[in-house]
Amino acid sequence: MSWKNIRLVFLREVRDQLRDRRTLFMITILPVLLYPMLGLGIVEMMLTFSEQSRVVVMLNADDLPTSPALLDEAGISKEWFEDGEEETSKLRVLAERTAAADDKEKSPRRPRRGEKTDEELLKVAHQLAEKIERLHGLRPEDVASTNSDPASQSSGDSSSESETNATATSANDTAEAASAEARLTAAQDDIGQQFGTSGFQVLVIIPKGYRAAMEAMQREIQTSSSATTDVDAKTVATQVPPVLVVRNSADDKSMVAFGRVQKALQSWEDAVRKFSFEQAGLPKELQHPARFAWIEVAREEQVAASVWSKMFPALLVIMALTGAFYPAIDLGAGEKERGTMETLLISPAKRVELVLGKFATIMLFSTATALLNLLSMGLTGQQMSAVMSDGMANRVSLDFPGLAPLAWLVILLLPLSALFSALCLALATFARSTKEGQYYLTPLLMVVMGLTMFCLSPAVEMTPLYSVIPVVNVALLLKGLLLNSASSGNLVVYAIPVLISSIGYSMLALWWAIELYNSEDVLFREAEKFDIRMWFQQLLRTKDAVPALPEAGFCFILILMLQFVAMAYMKPDLTNGDPGLTMMRLIVIQQLTMIACPAVFMGMLLTTSLRATFRLRMPSITAMALGVGLAIVAHPLTVELSQFLVEHQVFPELPESARQVMGLMKTGDKPTWLLLLVFAVTPAICEELAFRGFILSGLARGGRLAIAVGISSMMFGIIHMIPQQAFNAALLGLILGLLAIYSRSLFPAMAFHFCNNAIATFHAGEGGTIVADGVFFSRDPDGFLRYEAPLLILCAIAGILMIVHMIKVVIRDQDAKRRGIVPGFREPADREEVVA
Amino acid sequence: MTVSILHQLRVVGSECGDAFVVRFLMAPFVSEPRMIRVQGLFKEFDDPRNGIFRALDNVSFEVRPGEIYGLLGPNGAGKTTCLRILSTVLRPTRGLAEVDGINVVRNPEGVRSRIGFMSCNTGIYDRMTAWEMVEYYGRLYGIPEEKLQARITEIFNVLQMNDIRDRLGGKMSTGMKQKVSIARTIVHDPPVIIFDEPTSGLDVLVARAVLQAVSSLRDQGKCIIFSTHIMREVEKLCNRIGIIHRGKILAEGTLPELADKYQQPDVEELFFDLIQRREEEVRNSGTNSEA
Repeated sequence: MSWKNIRLVFLREVRDQLRDRRTLFMITILPVLLYPMLGLGIVEMMLTFSEQSRVVVMLNADDLPTSPALLDEAGISKEWFEDGEEETSKLRVLAERTAAADDKEKSPRRPRRGEKTDEELLKVAHQLAEKIERLHGLRPEDVASTNSDPASQSSGDSSSESETNATATSANDTAEAASAEARLTAAQDDIGQQFGTSGFQVLVIIPKGYRAAMEAMQREIQTSSSATTDVDAKTVATQVPPVLVVRNSADDKSMVAFGRVQKALQSWEDAVRKFSFEQAGLPKELQHPARFAWIEVAREEQVAASVWSKMFPALLVIMALTGAFYPAIDLGAGEKERGTMETLLISPAKRVELVLGKFATIMLFSTATALLNLLSMGLTGQQMSAVMSDGMANRVSLDFPGLAPLAWLVILLLPLSALFSALCLALATFARSTKEGQYYLTPLLMVVMGLTMFCLSPAVEMTPLYSVIPVVNVALLLKGLLLNSASSGNLVVYAIPVLISSIGYSMLALWWAIELYNSEDVLFREAEKFDIRMWFQQLLRTKDAVPALPEAGFCFILILMLQFVAMAYMKPDLTNGDPGLTMMRLIVIQQLTMIACPAVFMGMLLTTSLRATFRLRMPSITAMALGVGLAIVAHPLTVELSQFLVEHQVFPELPESARQVMGLMKTGDKPTWLLLLVFAVTPAICEELAFRGFILSGLARGGRLAIAVGISSMMFGIIHMIPQQAFNAALLGLILGLLAIYSRSLFPAMAFHFCNNAIATFHAGEGGTIVADGVFFSRDPDGFLRYEAPLLILCAIAGILMIVHMIKVVIRDQDAKRRGIVPGFREPADREEVVA
Repeated sequence: MTVSILHQLRVVGSECGDAFVVRFLMAPFVSEPRMIRVQGLFKEFDDPRNGIFRALDNVSFEVRPGEIYGLLGPNGAGKTTCLRILSTVLRPTRGLAEVDGINVVRNPEGVRSRIGFMSCNTGIYDRMTAWEMVEYYGRLYGIPEEKLQARITEIFNVLQMNDIRDRLGGKMSTGMKQKVSIARTIVHDPPVIIFDEPTSGLDVLVARAVLQAVSSLRDQGKCIIFSTHIMREVEKLCNRIGIIHRGKILAEGTLPELADKYQQPDVEELFFDLIQRREEEVRNSGTNSEA
């Protein structure tokens, strides 16, 4: 690899991109101009924008107490609002007043076109009020009564409610109740419809005689508090009927208006109470017996930080991808389209050098786009907060985050851009034309957007598991670091896994891009007409002994999809019969139909040799012994590893369903043979047929055995769904794959799988009668069998020795095969081999 | 002459394998050095229709320096596949292909530094000037800077490209683009030059200029492969031709040799005869295998 060539390609591509006006526009001009323009636009909009006032109709407003007064001439008095003038103007209160108030009324508001006059509004309001009253008559639980006589209400709401309720149900037969129900619904619909077209958003109905009731109550409070010695007089008998507020929850406008009215009514209610207490000479504190005061601990820049912590990570991720998107298409598919790909390929520069040069270019643009966007957005925010002296901006300062978070931002941006650049380059290389490139990259954009949205949720916090998920890890870490610089100390711990995993993913993606550059199929793909019938015919006609790579991939996706679809139907019904048995039956069915069947079916349909595909060869005794032996030594290690990971909260707790299965193994009310059949024999056969059989055979076809084993074990992990089990399965999948490749037979892997599951079943059932001696075995407080360090070390040594032996044998065989000294087994026809 | 000796020494230095054997041990048995040697070459592609498509079927030929070998065949005959294998962008399924004694599979980088490749599909960058474009490739070929500048100046003079020196690729006419392509092909002074239908889609004047460039390269002692489906070009340029159809070389030799062998003085008639015969052969074998 020559750095000179990489630099050469890099410089050329950068110059080429900089000469491209479109790219330049997307990457530099757009962010530099877009955010200030957007900011300016928002300021402009805020200047021209005035919220339309909502109409509140208040019926029988005369009956409101005069002191403290809820209303003044303009509507609801501004002292009841937190924001005074501003909120008052957002509500137009139409209070119904009788003759006394009439002369005071100034020139009535002239309605705009399409609006109803005040008289019309009041008329509708009255109709509605009547209907509502009638509705309450229909409804057995009559909460609100407009009865002005306070004495009739003395029994209290709740008791009268239950009484009427009880009498209603006992007196009427069911048919009548049903018709009453229907009438109720009809009346409700009617009211709802009329309310919708009424022209006002909230209707407030002041009950008749409200003021009188209120005054009566105040008097009673006064007397009872003054007559402290008289025990009987201490009860306040007067019931003030409630004020009815009618709203429509389905209508946003109504809800906004309702919120305002409610707030005003609440503060007015407080004032009324205060007034009553004052009148009665009671201490003011009575009104809030439990007082509290709050203190803001976040300084202004931290409040600002919380705004940035939401904006910056999302923007960083999206812009890093967008910045990679366009140059990648141009450098990958564009090069093919222009016919310069071939000239590049016949230059002596190695493919790796070409890819790295292009990758560096894309990464440069990705990073630059993200940083420019952030810079422009940050500066715009600052500028806007300076311009807007009121409104949101004086509550939240939009000052730039500190230097340390910014430094982190840049550090984390690099692996993220690297990942996106490599992925985009690979996909763009795969594409035949720039148009096709866009088709391939759009799903990537959507997936990344989805992940980013997930990270924006305040509930999502960094966990060890998230720290190794691409994109999510960077976004979450950044969010945490920007959110609160003071407590970022414990987040920095995550920086190492985040950085390592991100760099790892970008290396993988880069490796993929290089692979694509080495594949002549990809570089010289001709645009051909896709004919599904022809494709299917070809699929069936050109069968091979073992499945092709896409077939293996499809098998995995099929299994995954089947599992997903079946998820809803696979929930055991725990209410009837024997839940344990039902669950076990479901597990067996799932294994057989969703894992073994697709693989076996595809094997029969798409390959010529089931023996080769499913590795149905007689293994050597050594291989079988290795399978069993490895299962025995692997078990303590996996148990302790997963315990360690759970204790360190790398994985979440097991979900309910998994715990049920575990419980099933533990209870011991099932015979051992049944447990073994369900949990050991079935998975050992079904999963091995699919993963070490069909899928691994297909993957290993290209000759890259290590990658085939790695990918097959990852697939094996994914199929286990629950993160903890998935991790375990993926690890064991590596051993299983190695066993299958080493022995060229499926049976040792089956033996391993069976032993592993059998031991796990045994282990879950309290480990039988093993004595905890504290040296090899011990028991944790739950009675769970645990393994101690000496045993673990022994197991590890034995396991490593066996694995190293297998790897050596595999490498030797591969070497022999490469040199043409093919041993007796010889894998079926390898067409890719070049006889030079 | 000195250049070619130096060149040979460089070959020996870097390639002590095949090159050494071919150049020195086998030298007494070979009358002329063979720049290009293709023997029993097969190339198969996966094809949606027939399972496997055999693009090259046991193709063999040799080309010597100072010679233009014409690969004559209709579209889809396997010309491009064959030339792409020689230029190492495709790997052969079976068989041997050597350039200057270097195996295209074992040392593709070594082969690439010794060939120039130009086809009707090879393009130039839109946002690079003619000079930058040629310079870029010169640097990719690892030519020392001073030597490179001198070489480009020489090429630009010879090809009369000085007036488009600073013009961007996107603003050039087809003829200018083709000149830049030729300049790119020969910037590293390769002993072997491969032209894959270089004139297809060009207007007559440009095509003529390209053909002149090819023949002058031959006169400089280059080993040239020239693929085309146009008889006139073959008659005018090529020392020897191979007629290829459906992946098989049907006839090979100099024009007089071919005329003599097949008793057909007209190349065009000969060409169609051979192709028709091959078509029948394929049809028969197809029915045979199906039966």
